[in-house]
Amino acid sequence: MNKPSLDNRIEVVGQPRRKLSINWLRLHIPGVGLSYLLPPVIALGIAGAIWEVWTRLASVPTYIVPAPSRVLDRLTGDLLFFAGEGMVTLAEALAGFALGTLVALVGATLMTQSRFIERSLLPLAILVKVTPVVAIAPLFVIWFGFGPAPKVLIVALITFFPVLVNAVTGFRSVDRGAMDFLRSVRASRREIFLKLRVPSAMPYLFSAFRVSSPLAIIGAVIGEWFSANRGLGSVIVVAHANLDMPTLFSAIFVLSLMGIGLTIVLAVIEKKVLFWHESSNVM
Amino acid sequence: MNCIPNTHHVSLSDVCKRFDDEANGSYVLQDINLDIAHGEFLCLIGPSGCGKSTLLRLVGGLIEPTSGEIQIDRLTPAEAQANKAIGFVFQEPSLLPWRTVADNISLPLEVNLKNNPESARSVSELLHLVGLDGYADYYPSQLSGGMSQRVALARALASGASLLLMDEPFGALDEITRAVMGYELLRIWNTDKKSVVFVTHNISEAVTLSDRVAVMSRRPGRIVEMVEINLPRPRTRSMERNPAFRRYSEWLHDLLWQGNQNEQAVAR
Repeated sequence: MNKPSLDNRIEVVGQPRRKLSINWLRLHIPGVGLSYLLPPVIALGIAGAIWEVWTRLASVPTYIVPAPSRVLDRLTGDLLFFAGEGMVTLAEALAGFALGTLVALVGATLMTQSRFIERSLLPLAILVKVTPVVAIAPLFVIWFGFGPAPKVLIVALITFFPVLVNAVTGFRSVDRGAMDFLRSVRASRREIFLKLRVPSAMPYLFSAFRVSSPLAIIGAVIGEWFSANRGLGSVIVVAHANLDMPTLFSAIFVLSLMGIGLTIVLAVIEKKVLFWHESSNVM
Repeated sequence: MNCIPNTHHVSLSDVCKRFDDEANGSYVLQDINLDIAHGEFLCLIGPSGCGKSTLLRLVGGLIEPTSGEIQIDRLTPAEAQANKAIGFVFQEPSLLPWRTVADNISLPLEVNLKNNPESARSVSELLHLVGLDGYADYYPSQLSGGMSQRVALARALASGASLLLMDEPFGALDEITRAVMGYELLRIWNTDKKSVVFVTHNISEAVTLSDRVAVMSRRPGRIVEMVEINLPRPRTRSMERNPAFRRYSEWLHDLLWQGNQNEQAVAR
């Protein structure tokens, strides 16, 4: 009776992986059938063409609105410069995102353990949330200097709240029957947390990430406005002072690309993690 | 497991339950005395809100009685839980959607590890028992309601529980599936010799399945009558046309109806 049971266990452990890899194939590049990619590309192309024609026909001065061709010239002419500055901003955004998410998850875990902790910490979190980050940013420069630290902290501050709130909701949104079942076999709090609460919270976490990932880039740029000689935020400040619109637009363009890239990466991870959830048919 | 044949598997004496948040302090359950033998199939039947689910949750140790005593093989419900002697099945299958059928079934063996039975049944054995051969790698979203309840049943059996507590497990299923699942449950119960406490408000389901039916009154819930169902086993579908079956059904129906009438008389 025992021997076949062992054999079976091995078989059972091996097979879900195959199932996952099938899932992987299907969403290798999420939603990138031509039917998804083509319409927005066409729309973008038309908008660009109208913009180009308008700036030429109306002879709009470049220091007000540059033609897309000028922006593209500037961008491709100095690709390494923009890529380098972009990497600085991206690194700050990702580091802050990771820090904010980590702090939020720890906070949410504590809050799930006790209502008292939730009642003490949640008002503080709301206070942080309602305080405009732009107002705190100059302060952070004084406290943490001109290096990457204040930018990372601003990003952490701005991304922290959506993750916290969604994680608390997610950890609590467990199936009551599954909870009762685990209690009826005397699963420990830790086991219930890891086997039930954490996976149940995943859909909530990913919808928080969808909000907080663009915020991360915003936070990094704001941080750079106040104190930086590196990063796309500082590129924007300098170009603005010089009325160098092609450079300014190039920086904006790179920032948008970054946002799209982050969204796609998150969508791919989400599809992989939440293959079991109804939401995995979006996008 | 139990070597003394004449002791009851489950015994409740003078169990009362009142929830703290009820302002008027009325009892949900009052003076419940109930003994369940090893291997017995007992149904709890009563109008909705009579506390039959509460009674089941008390036996399973999910909530504590306000007064009275509950013993499962001479242990408290909490101790029975720790020994993994209790297998719950609820109205909703409550499977974990991120786990395959096989991983859902082995869930109870992944927690509270020190009390795992020495000879746990393999997942494929359990799948075979509940008639789901070949479904090990399916996800719950790919299963029908009846199949999901089969998985929930296998999960409840996986830890080697000797007592199955079932809270309207087929209540959300359509009529045909419900009947099929009832006979499937009897087949499994017959091969496994578990004790079953089965909550339902379906009279013919109660008659088909049970050795005894405990009829409960409206609030405060009491056991108003114990009806012994002396129909031969194994029970079959043709038995439902049997006059004895119909008499039992009518009797239970009368008992439930009486309880309802008394309630209204008291209200007036």
